[in-house]
Amino acid sequence: MAYGSASSRGLAGTTLRINLTTGEIRKYPTDEKLMREWFGGRGAIAKILYDEVPRDADPLGPENLFIISAGVMSGCFIPAGAKIGFGSISPLTNGHGDSNMGGHLGPALKFAGYDMVIMSGISPKPSYLFIDDDKVELRDASRYWGMGSLECEPVMKKDLGEDFEIATIGPAGENGIRFSCITHDFGRQAGRTGQGAVMGSKKLKAIAVRGTGGIKVHDLDKLTEHVTAIIKRTQTHPNMAPWQKYGTAFFIDWSNTNAVLPTRNFQTTYCEDIAGIDGEALVEKCLITHKACFGCWMNCGKYTKAVLPGKQTVYLEGPEYETGALCGSNLGMTDINQVAYLNWLMDNVGMDTMSGGGVVAFAMECFQRGLITTDDLEGHTLNWGSVEDAEHFIDMVVHRRGIGEYFSGGTKRAAEKIGRGSERFAMQVKGQEMSGYDGRYAPGMLLSYMTCDIGAHHNRSWTITVDMAEGREKVEGRAKVVIYLQHIRPLFDCWCICRLFWGELDIEPEEIVEALNYITGWDIDTAEAFKTSEKIWNLVRCHYLERNRANGRTFDYPPARSWEDKIPSGPGAGKGLTKEQIELMLDEYYAGRGWDNDGNPSREVLHDLALDFAADNVEKIGLLGKPLPNGIPAVRGERYKPKAF
Amino acid sequence: MIVFLRAGGQLRAMLRPDVDHYTRKVEIDGEKTVGEILNYISLDTAHVALIHVDGRMKDLSYRPSDGQTITLQPPVSGG
Repeated sequence: MAYGSASSRGLAGTTLRINLTTGEIRKYPTDEKLMREWFGGRGAIAKILYDEVPRDADPLGPENLFIISAGVMSGCFIPAGAKIGFGSISPLTNGHGDSNMGGHLGPALKFAGYDMVIMSGISPKPSYLFIDDDKVELRDASRYWGMGSLECEPVMKKDLGEDFEIATIGPAGENGIRFSCITHDFGRQAGRTGQGAVMGSKKLKAIAVRGTGGIKVHDLDKLTEHVTAIIKRTQTHPNMAPWQKYGTAFFIDWSNTNAVLPTRNFQTTYCEDIAGIDGEALVEKCLITHKACFGCWMNCGKYTKAVLPGKQTVYLEGPEYETGALCGSNLGMTDINQVAYLNWLMDNVGMDTMSGGGVVAFAMECFQRGLITTDDLEGHTLNWGSVEDAEHFIDMVVHRRGIGEYFSGGTKRAAEKIGRGSERFAMQVKGQEMSGYDGRYAPGMLLSYMTCDIGAHHNRSWTITVDMAEGREKVEGRAKVVIYLQHIRPLFDCWCICRLFWGELDIEPEEIVEALNYITGWDIDTAEAFKTSEKIWNLVRCHYLERNRANGRTFDYPPARSWEDKIPSGPGAGKGLTKEQIELMLDEYYAGRGWDNDGNPSREVLHDLALDFAADNVEKIGLLGKPLPNGIPAVRGERYKPKAF
Repeated sequence: MIVFLRAGGQLRAMLRPDVDHYTRKVEIDGEKTVGEILNYISLDTAHVALIHVDGRMKDLSYRPSDGQTITLQPPVSGG
């Protein structure tokens, strides 16, 4: 039976622990202290991974955990309380990894009575996790193994019932491709940090959940009044209608105009044929209808189809901005149908379209420079703008054929194999490929990638409008903004609600914390929320140091293109950063965090965050930060208001 | 000629609304493009990612008619 929670509302009450090797399934009352102190979702994942996974555990081995965590707000009456988090030691970065998705799986898990599922071991045969309220089983997935994600989900729904929420991996995850994703709801992905590869390593093909219960909240009347006011306010917000119509894809053209759009593997930031792949092209050529996640009225998701001569017509969700950039301009594509087709292809094989786009782009540049040839590509070329070439190469990667094996570990590992200077344009940090923004003329964005706790990723910190407001060639002062954003934005991944209502519709952090208190009965303020987020950030940093055993600074550099190459064309022509500017940003960042100049957290800051146990652990391996000459800053990260405000 | 500009997020503060929380009324002489209107009120067009008029995407060269409402959207803050 599932356990009900007595004190903290918002929780479903039960945590599942599953040993995939033995098949043992155990139910425990959810640890309310863990949820309160680490906020569930990403925070709970970080603490469990830190406490339980041996430091030398292989990310694709049995000792790694695979954790599913629906946060305290998921499934509740709150804007877009739809998210669910996945976490494990990342096979891309060899550090803490977490990724999340929208859709309906998070609420379903809570409605079935479960806050978290913690899985260890490796199943002796392909299996899937079946949850139907109290009934929890590991079932044989032999019939589904080998299917593409987008093909598998409808088959499983037909077998189990349309009211099951299903998440799957594709052949990429099954084959251990380190940037594999998890797909749900025909196009929602937990894409980053290779969570799909960890699922595949555990022979776990899918998760199927039906939940018919509810979630108790602390003060339903106040929550209803508060959230109803938010709903009414956002319905008339100027951003709502364009969001509903275009989703994130409209942003492609803006990025191009403002010299941040990665083009041909970040060689430049300007795409000459932008009209063919921007948001308007998506709406005109591909859009079928709009789609929303649980509890959302923004419906930013776009159901589309891609029609290309000589290819089957395919149906998908997307492309969103990141895919549009990284599988569009970054691959030299000029037609939105090409981008949508590659989006579908990567979704179906189960690879992250962001890392996937980065890997294909890196390979295309290697081909452009003669570092790989048709001899390496089974007689094929790998030219910019060719869907056929990209499709063949992706097939080599997914099945780890020939040189595809090199690229199955991502750009960093591929560059280490290829050598001959390719490392300088392997566009990644800590092994994870960059998101869809070039940081050479947006220094805060580059610093965001460099210091992101899970490898290069935009959603922890996005600063381009800050860079524009404060001066795009100025690097001083960026660190405090990045740190602030790295505290506020991951909170949404803890609580498992969509960030867009804050970022795009002006819902203030205080309003979200107020809703959190009505749901849980907690009594926190935004200062405590930010400090908890900072605690999580520092724990993840210590975990990374403990696993990778070198000064933190050594891991925080972008590829040399970031300072050696100026932007060659478009509105950002001639712009770029120097190595000295990059060093200065890191110096400011570490000082702003209370870390020493080697990028290692000091005992003083770890003590302030109640992380003395982590300080002891990094001290044992000689990576505790030296005391700062002037002590640690009282406030790490500064709430940002641009000058125009 | 009068046009109404609407914006949320950081654009709202740059727009300085005077009609309601999101809307500013702008009076201009003769026909002007959206780009010229934004320049007239000293709003940096680099902060505008999308121009939306009557449910359609427009660009800075669009010439609104008298009384028309123009919605300005800032860039997505990183998904």
